[in-house]
Amino acid sequence: MVVCLVLAAAVGLVYFAKAVDALGDAAAANAVANYDDRELAGGTALGVDQEALVAARGLIPEGETYRLVVGPQATNIGQFTRYFLMPRRTAEDARWVVCYECDLSRFGGELHVLWQSDAGVAVGRLPG
Amino acid sequence: MTGHALAGLAVANAAVVVVGSCLLWGVRGLCSWAEVARLSGLAYMVGVAALGVAFTLELVLGVPFGLATMGITCVVLAAGGLVLGRAFRRPRPRGFGVERRGLALVAVSYVALVGVYLEAVFRAGRLAPLSNFDGWAFWVPKAKAIYFFGGLDEQFFRELANPTYPPLVPALEAAAFHAMGSPDVVTLHVQLWFFLTGFVAAVAGLLAPRVRAPVLWPILLLVLVAPRVVNRSLEPQADFVLDYLLALAALLIALWLVDRGAWQLCCASLFLAGAMLTKREGQLLAACIVVAALAASWRTRRLAWPRLVLAGAAAFVLALPWRIWFQSRDLTGELPSSGFLGLFDHLDRPWPALRSVVGALLDTGLWLFAVPLAVVAIVLAFAGGARILPAYAALVYGLSAAGFVWVLWSFTELELPYDQDEGVNLLARLCGSLVVLSAGLVPLLLDAAWRGSDGPGDGPRTEADGP
Repeated sequence: MVVCLVLAAAVGLVYFAKAVDALGDAAAANAVANYDDRELAGGTALGVDQEALVAARGLIPEGETYRLVVGPQATNIGQFTRYFLMPRRTAEDARWVVCYECDLSRFGGELHVLWQSDAGVAVGRLPG
Repeated sequence: MTGHALAGLAVANAAVVVVGSCLLWGVRGLCSWAEVARLSGLAYMVGVAALGVAFTLELVLGVPFGLATMGITCVVLAAGGLVLGRAFRRPRPRGFGVERRGLALVAVSYVALVGVYLEAVFRAGRLAPLSNFDGWAFWVPKAKAIYFFGGLDEQFFRELANPTYPPLVPALEAAAFHAMGSPDVVTLHVQLWFFLTGFVAAVAGLLAPRVRAPVLWPILLLVLVAPRVVNRSLEPQADFVLDYLLALAALLIALWLVDRGAWQLCCASLFLAGAMLTKREGQLLAACIVVAALAASWRTRRLAWPRLVLAGAAAFVLALPWRIWFQSRDLTGELPSSGFLGLFDHLDRPWPALRSVVGALLDTGLWLFAVPLAVVAIVLAFAGGARILPAYAALVYGLSAAGFVWVLWSFTELELPYDQDEGVNLLARLCGSLVVLSAGLVPLLLDAAWRGSDGPGDGPRTEADGP
């Protein structure tokens, strides 16, 4: 039993030093980022356009609904957009549109685009 | 903004300690202020479990969730504890006598090491990004939905992944958002730090008077510095909260098997209820713990079994309303798609499933050697002459591992041998419960091996144990 405890104590102390070191590095890395980077970190890993989502959050009022229309290359951003834009709800007939690399011509010129990026992301509102 | 959020969290968690202390005084009694301090971690975790269960029941019943509800719930639970204490004529805590063993040099040294470790975890977590997939995909959105809409918003709970996952952690996170004054998903990591710290303090407080410091603290530190605990314990999801609740339930039942203090079983029942309302596998692991306790208490079954069954049943009853809520709304995904018996159509799966489970439990890159150490501790305790504790521990580990094999076998959509990225690895999450459990059970087993018996109590109750 003594061998067992000595071994546990030795391994524990070695990994304690490693853990404190690694946690210090993590703290330093986290401190460099800004709040948006931290909040959007999950989306960054997916290649989400941070600026577009921040713009959408700024434009769409909290009580409104929106629809996310995605192009064929951006199919996996729905979950992250839903998380980031809460408490705004999604609805198929919403006036607010977040067009993520989609074809804007599908709205027949009715979409009033309020923000657009070079990367093909647009935020706009339909009449009605 | 972060300073305000941190202050809010500190106040809220102090309130949880007060609620838990009142409940603990009610069911157990606290003789001195030194004892109050020693058991403050346990009191905190009792408060977390009690509030988590209460919030979940309120959400299921449609009570609007907000600061007022949180405050009233805290007052009602604290008052309930005080009424219980008066009813059982618990004496007020008196004096500040410091417990001699708590001041041993080894204990002081390790308390300092654990303190340094927790400070480092805090610094890393305070500004941590929300990058974990499950965290932003459904755990935190559920918490945000409760925060913004004051309840279980059906649209969000239907649209988000895993709609049948219980809402205890999202409810506690929503409460943290209210305490912070905003849905601050960055500072939210600090709330998980409070859970980790509370768990460590709870295990240390429970075992300090019975397990020698050179046995208790190295094992506790070994579990804390396991790479997965270091890297993932502050991720805002339910895995580690489940592990803490189950570990405390299993530890209290182990102590009850030796001491037979009613308060231990009451608290264990509350932790089991909390675990069942934290994640689906909480039900499986809670059942393993109760069955293991039933088997280990075979020789005293006439006295022990009704109490154990009552404790398990009480926990299940508290978890039942959530099941009724999601089943009444046709939310699915709780059980294997092939049903309970469908696993017999896949007899090629148990062997690779077993190999995957053993491999995950022995993965030193994630857990160091916490589980092998538990096996050695069980053998040593048996060899030393103890019977109840090693039998109970062997059954908890064995039944849980068998349960993990069943999960891999019956959820046929999981490819075997199971080898997923650690960040989304179901098996690593499941195994975490047995590793965290080792922080409490292994010191107890090694102490039993040292003593050559199950423990100092070996049956008789102390005055503080209550009825």
